Amino acid sequence: MSASMNNDVRAEPNLTPLLDVVFQLITFFMLVINFSQDNFDSRIKLPVAGSARPQDDAAKLGDERLVLNVDKDGHMIFNGQVLSADEATQKIKLEAQIARQNIKTLKGKVEQGEALPARIVIRADRDTPFAALFALINTCQTNGYQKFDLKAMNGP
Amino acid sequence: MKKMRGMEIEIPITPMLDMAFQLLTFFILTYRPAPMEGQFSMNLLPAQKAIDITKEQPKEESTPSLDASLRTLKTVLRAGGNGLLGEVTLADRPIQGMDELKKELEGFVNDPVVTFDQALIKVDPHLKYSELMKVIDVFSSLKPKPLTKLSFSELGPDEGGGPPQ
Repeated sequence: MSASMNNDVRAEPNLTPLLDVVFQLITFFMLVINFSQDNFDSRIKLPVAGSARPQDDAAKLGDERLVLNVDKDGHMIFNGQVLSADEATQKIKLEAQIARQNIKTLKGKVEQGEALPARIVIRADRDTPFAALFALINTCQTNGYQKFDLKAMNGP
Repeated sequence: MKKMRGMEIEIPITPMLDMAFQLLTFFILTYRPAPMEGQFSMNLLPAQKAIDITKEQPKEESTPSLDASLRTLKTVLRAGGNGLLGEVTLADRPIQGMDELKKELEGFVNDPVVTFDQALIKVDPHLKYSELMKVIDVFSSLKPKPLTKLSFSELGPDEGGGPPQ
């Protein structure tokens, strides 16, 4: 009698609430995850500036951006690769040409001297000498970029 | 037909839960919180031919000649040892510390008589980026309106921009 009782009793916990919670957690992580890391390079130690403002999300989505990581020796890092000064110049020139071509396709012609709407985002190391940075900024300006975002940490 | 109504259909959700936990594990392991990065958005125009506002009488109205010779508020940053900020001058006047720089800059920005068209920062080539950022921080925190239309130029050796001491 008791043996048959034991065989018939089946413990079936209701897993639906647990599944709901897990799906909510998955949704949260899917929304906050950032695979691209915005060309974030962990080798760069950004300077600290109190009045640096967080990036506007609308601007992040709307603007075309070119992120330049610069290490403490003044070398540009692009897609994880350290570039020499000449390679960096060529890369910026190429990006500017592509940007002009895109605008030409979408809107119309952009004159050679006309400023490009794209923003240059500079993530330079805190120990980078100004000379290296100035050379990069000059190259960007020569190729038609005028809008710059200089990255810094909000706190230590 | 009555028997059909009484039947309980049990959908096994355990495999789905297993899969959900695997997905959750993946997202937790790959999650890297973004660092608290801020930025200074500015229009960096190429430095143009300048007229020092301290040596030129301010004009009442802008004239077409302004494009050729802009009235300029010049800030000079010289590096000390190890690329740290050594000497700061604003319109050729020496400045002691960032607080004084902010006070003097606000004086220029809020002065209705002395006007300028561009703010030029001449920087020692050996100055570290973090030191330059301290100055940009001051320019961006001016009240009522921050100065974000800046031009940078390199301090030549004849102007005191030399090798680090």
